[in-house]
Amino acid sequence: MKLVWWLATVFGISAFSIFLSNAGATDPVQNLTLTVNSPLQGALRDIASPIHDAFLGITDRGGLRHENEQLKDEVEQLRNQLASQQDAQQRVLDLEAALGLKQSRPEDKLLAADVIAEEPSGLKRSIAINRGLNDGLDEGMIVLSRSGSVVGTVSHVYKDFAWIRLLTDVDSAINAQVNIATVPPANTNVITPGAPGPQASATPAPSAAPAEPQTVRAVAKGDQRDGLLLDLLPSDAPIVAGDLVVTSGLGGNFPRGLLLGSIHNVDERPQAPFKSAIIDPAATLTGLDTVLVLVSFKPARLTGP
Amino acid sequence: MKYVVVLLLAWFLAAAQVSALPYLKVLGVTPDLMLIMAACWAVLRPQDEAMIVVPIAGLMHDLATGDPLGASALAFAPLVILAASVRIRAVETQFIAALVVVSAGTLTWGAVRMIVLSISGQEVQWFQATVRVVLPLAAVNTLFMPLFYMPISWFSAGQRQGIMGSRRITSPL
Repeated sequence: MKLVWWLATVFGISAFSIFLSNAGATDPVQNLTLTVNSPLQGALRDIASPIHDAFLGITDRGGLRHENEQLKDEVEQLRNQLASQQDAQQRVLDLEAALGLKQSRPEDKLLAADVIAEEPSGLKRSIAINRGLNDGLDEGMIVLSRSGSVVGTVSHVYKDFAWIRLLTDVDSAINAQVNIATVPPANTNVITPGAPGPQASATPAPSAAPAEPQTVRAVAKGDQRDGLLLDLLPSDAPIVAGDLVVTSGLGGNFPRGLLLGSIHNVDERPQAPFKSAIIDPAATLTGLDTVLVLVSFKPARLTGP
Repeated sequence: MKYVVVLLLAWFLAAAQVSALPYLKVLGVTPDLMLIMAACWAVLRPQDEAMIVVPIAGLMHDLATGDPLGASALAFAPLVILAASVRIRAVETQFIAALVVVSAGTLTWGAVRMIVLSISGQEVQWFQATVRVVLPLAAVNTLFMPLFYMPISWFSAGQRQGIMGSRRITSPL
């Protein structure tokens, strides 16, 4: 009987506390706890991180060497791309200035924050950072990795701290697009229609045809099984592994062109109106130590009526 | 005094749970040390103590993880009932009982947490969450159970020896 009363009491108090928490009434207590805990948590993370790295280095040495070689090749390719894009970027800026156009993202103002905690249960995927309302953060603001790809959004903000919902959380959904550069094959012959078979005139296709960028829009959703899933892709979209996925800007909650990741695997089902694809997030979402909050961009949900 | 020790232990475990433990992944999940500690305490210590320690553990867990306050206290509450129902009174060791309480307690914790998330308006992928999080976590928590069972068992045995005299033979399990 005592146990029943105890259970009823715990249930009643817990239900009331959950209600108060959802209403934000317990935020000061949780902010205070994070203030007290953050030095200890920071010290524990500082201890655990190198141990984890050392353990990975021992257990995955061959994999790391292979990955290192791959990354070196990738860095070289990216440097080449960067060199050509810097020139193109400058030309865009000059043209925008000449035409008096308003730039979509004039100057990103970023606020660096340290990660102090990580949700351990696995039912939710979130991290806590040491920035909050006092630093100008608000719910819905975008959080980026140090290299500028999307990590998630601010889901709950206290006075000095905030919880970030990672893009792999099941509650996360981002309007995205895949930019596909479709280049016609260089050495194929174009068959002139209507000509009879043996006399068909074969015209060589131009070998240096310019790439025609094609955009496919979809929704990047967090998924418990796959991590990050690109859903609602048109069934005829020519998506292949390696294509880059960026934010589309639709809905106004994200600026356009922020990198989400690259296509890992496409799941096609015959006769289905849509297909889906698994995305490899560009940002490393485990063991994050520093993130950047995009404070200059106000999501539509914050600026709307 | 013992509740102060429990409070400090729970505070340290809560801080470790969200800072150092996420680096440790077994079967894709992080062991829940707070749940294991609460379950072992419920099995090995008197029920009156468990009725205080288990909600404290839940509260500290919520304060560290940013979950709604009370969610973990609610999710840990079945541990006390499970401990009361599986405790084997005829033998000295409660090792099997602790294994059962940790594994079954993790399953009930998962169910309660998913219900709370769902009521709070958050999306829950019930099947995937059960298969990919709750079931592996039950196995991993059971694997890590001796880490807490042994010290709490020795602590309890030491207390019993203090009360009943040192000539009583007690099992380390």
